[in-house]
Amino acid sequence: MATSNLHKWASLPDPSPAELARAAEGDAQAFKLIVERYQGMVHSVAYNVLGNHTDAEDAAQEAFLRCYRKLSQFRGEATFSTWLFRLALSVSVDYKRREKHHPEPVETPDLAAEAAPQLGEGIDAVTIVAALHDLPEDYRVPTVLRDVYGLPYQEIAETTGRPLGTVKVMVHRGRASLRLKLRAEGAGPEQGLAGARPRSDA
Amino acid sequence: MDCSYFRERINLYIDGEMGYLEVAELQAHLSFCPDCAAELAQVGAVRGALAAWGRLELATSPGFAERVMAAVELEPAPGLRKPFGRVVADTLQTLDDALGRIPLPGGRTIPVKNVIGWGLAVAAVAIGLGRRHGRRSRELRPL
Repeated sequence: MATSNLHKWASLPDPSPAELARAAEGDAQAFKLIVERYQGMVHSVAYNVLGNHTDAEDAAQEAFLRCYRKLSQFRGEATFSTWLFRLALSVSVDYKRREKHHPEPVETPDLAAEAAPQLGEGIDAVTIVAALHDLPEDYRVPTVLRDVYGLPYQEIAETTGRPLGTVKVMVHRGRASLRLKLRAEGAGPEQGLAGARPRSDA
Repeated sequence: MDCSYFRERINLYIDGEMGYLEVAELQAHLSFCPDCAAELAQVGAVRGALAAWGRLELATSPGFAERVMAAVELEPAPGLRKPFGRVVADTLQTLDDALGRIPLPGGRTIPVKNVIGWGLAVAAVAIGLGRRHGRRSRELRPL
């Protein structure tokens, strides 16, 4: 995976109602256009939840199959990309729960450090992905859902099947772990992560 | 200074889950505590970076779309898949069309399948009662 293949998915135009209708009726070519357009987004969601590319591609494929089966139920109450995003998230979390007893070793993300996009305040993509990978499993998924994708706590609790209070604690601990990890690596804002004094100095 | 009380509240502050009095209390503390202010800035920077990361997409491996489409080809066309209730309704409608309807006085009609259905139900009840009566008769028969 090269960083040149990274781009913003939020700006993707949704398929027209006519394209969606053709895909919902079983037009393979119309559905292939949807897969080609959204494969990066679906794969990214799965990767951020599952933490490795092999599982992420399996889950992404499962998400597209579920999308194909359910496309006729899409009523247009949300945009198609939002609907597919929630579907991908749900499939990925289900996949994670199912495969919980067979964890795979975490992959080191194959991002070229010199070309890694800056995510703001002295933190680049390589650093943030590595820090996410180092998070304990129990913290990573709720933190990803909350801070990477901005889901409300209640929805995270429903999606992961955990109590609301537990989810909040996990997100808070996940943030704390990420902060300490990034501070140790000297990433972050001048007066923030990199410039902060250790707490013992206080 | 013991800042633990305020540090525990930084996440609540970031998530907008504090009342305005608590917010005012925390902001007052932050105005003269550089360590807590730095921690807030750090958590804010991490959240900003995570959100920016979430707006990027990763490339799939070559041939991913083709693999998905190969799996899709094995699926029945979405239009052909019907919910169970719809299958039952369609079957009953087909039976209706095949068996026709019986005219009743007053110009009304009744579907033949309904008559058959009621007939089968009455027969099932009659058979059940008959078996029960037979069993009871055998039990009461003098040895």
